[in-house]
Amino acid sequence: MALLEVSDLRTYFSTREGEVRAVDGVSFEVESGKTLSIVGESGCGKSVTALSIMGLIPKPPARIVSGSIVFEGRDLTQLRDRELENLRGHEIAMIFQDPMTSLNPTLTIGTQITETLRRHLGMSKGEASRRAVELLEEVRIPRAKNRLDDYPHRYSGGMRQRVMIAIALSCNPKLLIADEPTTALDVTVQAGILDLLEELREEHQTAVILITHDMGVVAEAADDVVVMYAGQVVEQASTVELFDNPEHPYTEALLGALPSLEGEGGRDARLASIPGRPPDLLDPPPACRFAPRCPHANLGDYCTVEPPELRELRPGHWVRSAHPTSERAAVAV
Amino acid sequence: MSTNGNEPLLAVDGLEKYFPVRSGFLFERTVDHVKAVDGIDFAVEEGTTLGLVGESGSGKSTTGYCVLQLMRPTGGSVRFEGQELTTMKREELRRMRRQMQIVFQDPYSSLNPRMTVGDIVSEPMEVHGIGTRRSRRESVRRLLDVVGFDPTFTNRYPHEFSGGQRQRIGIARALALNPKLIVCDEPVSALDVSIQAQILNLLRDLQRDFGLTYLFIAHDLAVVRAMSDTIAVMNQGKIVEVGPAEQIYNSPQNEYTKALLTAVPVADPRRQRERKAERRRLKHALSEGF
Amino acid sequence: MVLNPQQEEFRERAMTRERGGGVEAGAPVRQTSLWRDAWYRYRANRAAVVAGVLFIVLLLYCILVPIFSPHDPYAVDFSEAYLSPSLSHPFGTDQYGRDLFTRTALGGRISIGIGFAATIAIMVIGIVYGAISGFVGGRVDNGMMRFLDALYGLPYLPFAIIVTQLFRTVDFWVMVIALTIASWFTAARVVRGQIISLKENDYVRAAKAVGARWHRVLSRHLLPNTLGVLIVFVFLELPGVILGEAFLSFIGLGINPPKASWGSLAQDGRDVYLAHPSMILIPSIAIAWLILCAFFIADGLRDALDPRTRET
Repeated sequence: MALLEVSDLRTYFSTREGEVRAVDGVSFEVESGKTLSIVGESGCGKSVTALSIMGLIPKPPARIVSGSIVFEGRDLTQLRDRELENLRGHEIAMIFQDPMTSLNPTLTIGTQITETLRRHLGMSKGEASRRAVELLEEVRIPRAKNRLDDYPHRYSGGMRQRVMIAIALSCNPKLLIADEPTTALDVTVQAGILDLLEELREEHQTAVILITHDMGVVAEAADDVVVMYAGQVVEQASTVELFDNPEHPYTEALLGALPSLEGEGGRDARLASIPGRPPDLLDPPPACRFAPRCPHANLGDYCTVEPPELRELRPGHWVRSAHPTSERAAVAV
Repeated sequence: MSTNGNEPLLAVDGLEKYFPVRSGFLFERTVDHVKAVDGIDFAVEEGTTLGLVGESGSGKSTTGYCVLQLMRPTGGSVRFEGQELTTMKREELRRMRRQMQIVFQDPYSSLNPRMTVGDIVSEPMEVHGIGTRRSRRESVRRLLDVVGFDPTFTNRYPHEFSGGQRQRIGIARALALNPKLIVCDEPVSALDVSIQAQILNLLRDLQRDFGLTYLFIAHDLAVVRAMSDTIAVMNQGKIVEVGPAEQIYNSPQNEYTKALLTAVPVADPRRQRERKAERRRLKHALSEGF
Repeated sequence: MVLNPQQEEFRERAMTRERGGGVEAGAPVRQTSLWRDAWYRYRANRAAVVAGVLFIVLLLYCILVPIFSPHDPYAVDFSEAYLSPSLSHPFGTDQYGRDLFTRTALGGRISIGIGFAATIAIMVIGIVYGAISGFVGGRVDNGMMRFLDALYGLPYLPFAIIVTQLFRTVDFWVMVIALTIASWFTAARVVRGQIISLKENDYVRAAKAVGARWHRVLSRHLLPNTLGVLIVFVFLELPGVILGEAFLSFIGLGINPPKASWGSLAQDGRDVYLAHPSMILIPSIAIAWLILCAFFIADGLRDALDPRTRET
């Protein structure tokens, strides 16, 4: 059984103008020791999905309307706040995008690490301090022992992110959710962080959900990928399979829009752009949400009337589209 | 198309921008300098794009501002169309500004929230007293049309539009005075990938249609590759390597350039695995840890 | 990607459904005005709305009552002195038999009038000083701020008192001048701070890049964007000024009789507060009412106009 099973999750936000359906029927599974990447552009609902799993969505405007989040057999949507608090930081940990604001500037690094250890594992001050040094060493912070009493402002962005990882892994969580952990970092620093995450994942057999908009990061770090668009999952497969055989027109377009670092391309290669913008989640198109921008959708197609279902095109490869690549090739004129 | 066949449109020599670090209680003294730009040289031929790439803190944005004299360089020379900008008198510089414009990175702070789209795009013409109100309105419509923005929305305010749409407005504003050179300061960094592609295509089309010259500043190596003829790699205020684009990508000479190239993840899982191994090898070669 | 005419048409239709058609960029994302957004946010703050209503009630009271009152606020009639509150005298009468309901309203006109006039004068001076300091920057800014720091050292009320004594009689405008001179410093600080932070915005750089001269940058780009902060500041400054005037009048250094402000009305009641507490209570409550309303309104306005929440 998978470590985490999300089934038909729907998270809506009540706003003055109506109900925003930020996550509208998302399902996926994560297994221990593997990395699942949720990829999509801004507004697709990937961050809200992560926050929903952690129970960190702001409860007044947002709420989980339906669906289940089953972690080790327990449905997180049914738990009380107190139980979720015990889970957070201990069994499920999260690291965020902006390392500059994720750490409390008025507390020393040491305090922020030991705080978690003492809360969840009940360690004494001395034990916690020792463990904190171990953790900093694990994330490759040089001269860890001397740095416990430093304040965050003495750390660079990359180092702060490492501290965040140290805090997140301090209680040996079974699941780590990383929400755009390297977006705010330089590319050389990013590489180091991704390497670190991989090493730690192997060592502790942690499951990782890596949220990103960068397909390169997906290619590097993920075993499986979920592509989200307008609050829904539009394609799901293993990383190699997705890049080799992208089925959904949006995935294709996303890959085609990327300027390439190697091979053909450069100055003269035309980038495939998708005209228009993602739909308004207040009033999404009734049928396929990508249809208005899809180059393969025609006026009479059923996908402009009925929303396509997520179906398994090949074992392990799911697509929500009426015009997946392999089917288009079959009927090519 | 160039005025003088031999002279590049923009030539920068020994450019320096030092920021003083002041300390002291009552009378602040300068104790040190932050060398944001530490002596760089490059040239851009008319109608081409020079990609200036580097990580944060490399000094690339500062370079762009110094070229346009939005920040006054503390040393070195900037020659535009053969004329020295650093010593130019204010009025003459003001006239020169019609030839060189800028597109900013942040679509949210680059447009005045209290001005309408139409006002924003027509401001450059107003400032230089070009045309009448009616002719300016016409020009605004034309400019917006050229950048793919619906001209009927001139009475709206920036906050009503998305990031990509706002960048188009910023580009229209940059084109208003029909400049020769446009400094693009990370114009797509804040945009989603699919919108990014729209804007990059747009910039390329505009370059072709209007014979523009770009100084294209970015941290994303793949983006820079898609736009540039020549590339200069910056690190800590200095240019570590400069050359034709394909040369930089296919056979980089400098260690830092190599490290930068291998650090960028490529959207190809198998290839990425190979690159990861390459990267690890290079990490041992470079003294600085990541 | 090349599209056939059918696909083209379909896409046109679909994009039109997305609230307005358009070229590749698409239609505007949202169509509300900044002010309407602010109004909605203000309305969400219940305390601010109540305060706003109460403030308007107070204003109407001060404006309308003297017009419709059957009593002459200046007529002296000792036979009517110190009457208890009744239907014809809702607040009772004072030691001269004058109707307090009317006099309080008149006093309100003076107090609120001085309050707003002084606040506006403070804003004007503050804007000029702060804009120059913030915009020019460098040594000029340094010097101007150090000068300001020195002025902060002067005690507020004695300073105001000294200014009033420079004039023969203390009338409405003398009070305004005195209070303004004594308290413009913070406004200058606030404006300077705003200008400095606004200067960092790219649109200011863009204006400079286009060749806009300093006066255009200031008047078109910087000052209009300080509007939000200034509106909030007006309501924060108002209580201070009103209290200042009230205090000066209370100790007898304020507006000369027979014109009365709330402060001087309170002064009238100072000696007899044991026997007739309403004479000191009523103007005090009026002052407190105004100040509390101003604070809650300022709070609501601050949330409503906060630029950070505007850009989502």
